[in-house]
Amino acid sequence: MAAAVLALVLSLPLAMAVSVGGAACSDDSTDPAPAPAKQGTTVVLCDGKTKVEIPPGAEKSRAGGQAVADALMSQWRQRHPDADWEAEVRRSHPRIPPPADNADVLAAGGQRDGQTYGRFTAKDVLSWQREIERAVLEGARIFHDSEALGSTIGMSCDMCHPDAANTHPETYPKFQVQLGRVVLLRDMINWCIEHPLRGTAMTANDPRMRALETYIYAQRKGQPLSYGKH
Amino acid sequence: MPRSAARPFARLIVLCGAAATAGACDPAASAQAQERSFPASVPVGGGGPHGTTPMTAQRRKMDELKIGIPGPPPGIDAAVWNAAVPEDNQPTQERIILGRALYTEPRLSADGTVACATCHDAVHGFIDRRPVAEGIGNNLGRRNTPTSMNASFMGVQFWDGRAGSLEAQALLPIVNPIEMGQPDGEAAVRAIAGDPAFEKMFRAAYGRGPNYMDMGRALASFERTLIFLDAPFDRFLRGDEDAMTPGAQRGWVLFNGKARCVACHPINAASPIGSDERFHNIGVSARHQNFDALSSKAIALLEENASPTAIDALALETDASELGRFLVTRSYADVGAFRTQQIRNVGITAPYMHDGSMMTLWDVMDHYNKGGEPNRFLDGGMEPLALDEGEMADVVEFMFALTDVRFARENQAEMARQREVARKQRPFRDDDMAFRRRLAFDGRQTR
Amino acid sequence: MRRTKAAKRTKQIERTERVERAEPAEPAARAEPTARGPRGRIVGVETRYMEERRVALEGLRGIDRRGFLRASAAAAAAAMACGVAPHSFQPVRVAFAGERGRERDGFRFAYISDSHLFEEKLNDRFVRALLRAVDDVNRLDPQPDFVLFGGDLAQLGQPAELRLGAQILRSLRAPVRMMVGEHDWYLDMGELWRDLFGEPTYSFDHKGVHFTVLNSILEEDFWSERGLSPMERMKTVAGLDNNAQRPFTVGVEQREWLRRDLAGLPSTAPVIVFSHSPLYKLYKPWNFWTDDADEVQALLRRFRSVAVIHGHTHQMLTNRIGSIHFHGMLSTAWPWPYAPEGLPEYTVQMSRPDPFNPNDGCGDGQVRVHPDGLVDKIYQLWNRNPITVTGAYLRSARRAGRPPAPNRKAY
Repeated sequence: MAAAVLALVLSLPLAMAVSVGGAACSDDSTDPAPAPAKQGTTVVLCDGKTKVEIPPGAEKSRAGGQAVADALMSQWRQRHPDADWEAEVRRSHPRIPPPADNADVLAAGGQRDGQTYGRFTAKDVLSWQREIERAVLEGARIFHDSEALGSTIGMSCDMCHPDAANTHPETYPKFQVQLGRVVLLRDMINWCIEHPLRGTAMTANDPRMRALETYIYAQRKGQPLSYGKH
Repeated sequence: MPRSAARPFARLIVLCGAAATAGACDPAASAQAQERSFPASVPVGGGGPHGTTPMTAQRRKMDELKIGIPGPPPGIDAAVWNAAVPEDNQPTQERIILGRALYTEPRLSADGTVACATCHDAVHGFIDRRPVAEGIGNNLGRRNTPTSMNASFMGVQFWDGRAGSLEAQALLPIVNPIEMGQPDGEAAVRAIAGDPAFEKMFRAAYGRGPNYMDMGRALASFERTLIFLDAPFDRFLRGDEDAMTPGAQRGWVLFNGKARCVACHPINAASPIGSDERFHNIGVSARHQNFDALSSKAIALLEENASPTAIDALALETDASELGRFLVTRSYADVGAFRTQQIRNVGITAPYMHDGSMMTLWDVMDHYNKGGEPNRFLDGGMEPLALDEGEMADVVEFMFALTDVRFARENQAEMARQREVARKQRPFRDDDMAFRRRLAFDGRQTR
Repeated sequence: MRRTKAAKRTKQIERTERVERAEPAEPAARAEPTARGPRGRIVGVETRYMEERRVALEGLRGIDRRGFLRASAAAAAAAMACGVAPHSFQPVRVAFAGERGRERDGFRFAYISDSHLFEEKLNDRFVRALLRAVDDVNRLDPQPDFVLFGGDLAQLGQPAELRLGAQILRSLRAPVRMMVGEHDWYLDMGELWRDLFGEPTYSFDHKGVHFTVLNSILEEDFWSERGLSPMERMKTVAGLDNNAQRPFTVGVEQREWLRRDLAGLPSTAPVIVFSHSPLYKLYKPWNFWTDDADEVQALLRRFRSVAVIHGHTHQMLTNRIGSIHFHGMLSTAWPWPYAPEGLPEYTVQMSRPDPFNPNDGCGDGQVRVHPDGLVDKIYQLWNRNPITVTGAYLRSARRAGRPPAPNRKAY
């Protein structure tokens, strides 16, 4: 995000809307280049809301431009506290075990030997890791958020299952009498959402359900599979 | 004067340990029961003693119903079924025939008027359609008669589970002073021992002459053939989408969801009858006067480390039967708890609950919808459900779809009758509680 | 050693029947069986019976030999009749009917804890559960001496929640002693709590036992640097497993207060501490933890009989460190699984709750306090048999009176 704003700033002469009051994010203005103004300048991001005032006579240097960019960024961050949600969730839940370390799939020769299948690079391994971690963090976020879960009574999963304790996903599938059939983890999650949380059951492919399952399995990494255990 | 009153008191104590909760042990209690104002159910008017259908008519009905086939019923997991049949009582045609004969034999009772089929009337779905059962000497008990249909699927028998098998259960009403009233099993055996037909049937079934234990076995063998699991619901599950009405289908969804019935009444391939075979206090006993005082007395006894005799002495008290499972296990958590009954054929087995206090399925729904009746031992699974009238009607419609097709005519008649009664009165309805505007335990009078 | 003899003597004394003495002591003295230390409270078994022995000996002192033999023979006979062989010379104290008084039997108080109320129209289930607990306690017969509320009355510390809780607790028949929890505190740092319930830290004496109530959920300021709003701060503290808060402490000021509060008490005085956090270090990631537990325990160490009754953990929990007994309280709202590590050896876990019963694993309970300060903790689990964790179990280092094992163990 910071990189993007910096790019924006460097291209300010093209993309910036310069005006005294009122702003438009456009670079095809037919107005002649404005004369140096007596009043200050307002810089607006293309969301139309994030603004910074540059006082008259301010230094038009790289450092000055950086200051403007930083100010815009800080304002935008304050208005979007969740933008850095990944780091926030990561900070809040440090005890989630990491995913499996796939370094062993890296071939000694890297990509150079010309084979297509069965050869993986460090970039592959890194992107797998980033994706799964993001899914786990998303699951952690929903797990702790009663509104995201759709609870009508203010409850969230973490209230009864701190760190996903007592979720025991390794014991599914199993026959659950009160659900009337052999159930998977997601069926039990849905039961919890319907009854203890008094919400609406999610469909199996609901991204929230997928994220919740991911988080729960992550927290129970290393437990031996034990299907059918009561 | 009822014959039971003439019996020695000592015998009453011995029997009451086992039979206390089938009905009050002393005649004064039955009088009190008669005074309790339960609305009368449909008069059975069968013309037989105690208002039941005569035995000949019942046997004809049994022939019509085409029961009496031994072995695991179709569609039921044979392993689970066979696990419930004792080694020494494998089903044979002879045992079933003997069982049926005994089931409809009033001579087994002390005054010759009461057979199993008196209260478990085949014509009416193997129940008597009364709030509480009536036995010899017109004594009223304190418990509603559960149906014999599908009873073989349940591991424990009686509302308080004091019999661990069908065999054990069959023996107890015979010696209960206000049911069949025999002083002991031998008297019942003597009543039929002289009959050559029975002599022949016993020998064919068990290879020995008439005796009390084989009576129980034969009756159990017969009861195991009372399988009534062919309802519109089953046909719907097998793929016939039109077998259940849309309302009943919605009811099935609610049954498993918002109405939470499935928490105690699971219906699934492993357990098809809709009972978890556990004991729950759902608050029905709490409606009785003095339940609080009675349960406090029971708990106080427990805290003093009461011996079984003290609890049995408590059982002699008239209202003690409301303590339910507690009288069997003497366990704090079981005060006022009764066995979850099956949901199968529930449409034709009114009145409902252990004391027969609910006349229609709408009453039952009202009771659950408001979360039962608050008391110290209320099962935590009883919560206000916030079902509206339409949803309740759907669940009721579903429950009527659980009646075996062989009783379809009776089922239709009963549905119409209950709907009429429910239209006029809904004594258990409490919308404030159901919709959580007023919460249970709030402002209860405490002495 | 001394303790065993004293215990034996107690048994003898309590079993001996009334015997006529050659020279009966002053009836008034006998009607006052307890020795009163400074501040007029019962100071402990040994001290009391030393006093009684002294009185008995004084009584025997002026009689002639025959009178003495008669008295001691009669006493010995009485003791033998109870199946206890007296020692060669035992001032066997006769127990009069009047002595079987309340003080000899101790007393009881009830507890209700961790109700986590939301507003009723948002979440009725928790409100119903608290009402059920109040109903349970109101039905106890005899009524307990008082009821302890163990903290976390509200879920998010909001005025509507706290006021609703206060209103519900007002219908308790017995007097209520309040204790604060973190869910009550961190929205407004205890402002409304103080208005409704008074200072969170206080002490009182009851029937010879000194009770101290602590505010043990104080955290170092983590919210200012992050610019959190009050509700954000509250929601952060409300989460058990987020890493965003600081550990609970009692704090320097309160420890100093505690030191002064306990200063005048002899080491034989029975002390019971009410605290929301456990006052020992169980599992830091979930704040089942008091960071300055060691310092607090040091202040309590000199007492012969100390019990800490704590909330926050929503489960059956038992521990003993030195002579300090720790007992957790049940929540009315929901049960928690046991922490993955740090479970005290003394704890016999409660049976894994069944999620299909919303009240399973929850409940309320009572504490029975013996005259010498020993504490039995009664867990009144809803829809389960009650479980008592006795002081004897703890005092005997788990050798006697072990609570029943759970049906279903935790994962």
